[in-house]
Amino acid sequence: MGFPISVDLRDGDPAAVDRAFEWLREADARFSPFRSDSEVSRLDRAEPAPNGLSPDLAYVLDLCSYYERATGGAFSARIPGRGLDPCAVVKGWAVQRAADLLTAAGVTRFVINAGGDVVTAGGPWRVGVRHPVEADRFCTVLEVTSQAVATSARYERGDHILDGRTGLPVTDLLSLTVVAPTLTVADATATAAFAMGVEGIEWAATQEGCEVFAVDAEHGVHRTAGLPVAGAPVAG
Amino acid sequence: MVKRAVPILLLTIAGVVPLWRFEAEPETVAAAEAPAATEAPGTSEAPATSQAPGATEAPAAAVKTVTGSLVRTSYGDVQVQLTFEGDVITKVTMVKQPNSAPTKKAVPVLVQETLDAQSADVDTVSGATTTSGAYVQSLQAAIDAKGD
Repeated sequence: MGFPISVDLRDGDPAAVDRAFEWLREADARFSPFRSDSEVSRLDRAEPAPNGLSPDLAYVLDLCSYYERATGGAFSARIPGRGLDPCAVVKGWAVQRAADLLTAAGVTRFVINAGGDVVTAGGPWRVGVRHPVEADRFCTVLEVTSQAVATSARYERGDHILDGRTGLPVTDLLSLTVVAPTLTVADATATAAFAMGVEGIEWAATQEGCEVFAVDAEHGVHRTAGLPVAGAPVAG
Repeated sequence: MVKRAVPILLLTIAGVVPLWRFEAEPETVAAAEAPAATEAPGTSEAPATSQAPGATEAPAAAVKTVTGSLVRTSYGDVQVQLTFEGDVITKVTMVKQPNSAPTKKAVPVLVQETLDAQSADVDTVSGATTTSGAYVQSLQAAIDAKGD
């Protein structure tokens, strides 16, 4: 999947992290569209799978089609001219499952950060949201407990997020952050909403359990009233 | 018993529409269509509520929950459940409201602010750090390096 993943473990058995990472490597091997032998690539080539569609891949494709419908096609795992790419959904789902493995192993306080997408257990944890223009500053700081935070933005790879309805890059948003009960929901919602452009802000706000923080191209901030903004940091 | 149910149901209908309109108000579309709400059957049938005094003769503070009938409005179907203590409504629950599938909140409330740049002590950083090159330069990398 090509992004760094770090785990901040505050209790429990560190060996649990090895098992979580093992799952993430497995998920990458099975679902990456950049590996020609992955389940996703084989499905894209319409190769018959020996044991049919795996339940995991079926679940991922279901999630993709849910968000495709919910965004009127703005979010799409299959943009014309590109192969099947369920990355936006796979990433959040796979990292959430890694978190579930840690929890199942008895870890109660941890943060996993997967390329800027965050899932927490216990807390409260202070999560800084990267400023879309000033890379070394935050545009807000959130305080979350056993919640996930995902951000979609243009600042790193430029205009790489396409609106599936038009095939054109999204240019009216700089970044959009979603807080949700799971990273599966937070990541998919942030990506899908970003693909919709500014109208995605309100759409994301209507999604179950989601709080939203978005910066538009004019540097205006739009956030939901329930966003868990952290108070001033405690000295020391 | 059957007689008493009638005024309560009418009250339900009369009560629903203003309540629901209040919820929908932040949406400009709803506000523009507001006159349509005057079609609400509850208003025209209001005289029927004059039977209500009968209901007040019920034993004081008896708790009763009633579900109103389905009201079709131009915005969609509306149905409420009311909890009475005696003849005082103590709780209103929307059983059905327009555009509210179980996966949606009724009306998102968005706050507009100006963009702020701050430095703060944080545990982790959320941002679109999708390549390892960007990670090396990121605040998150610094936080990871600091970890004990």
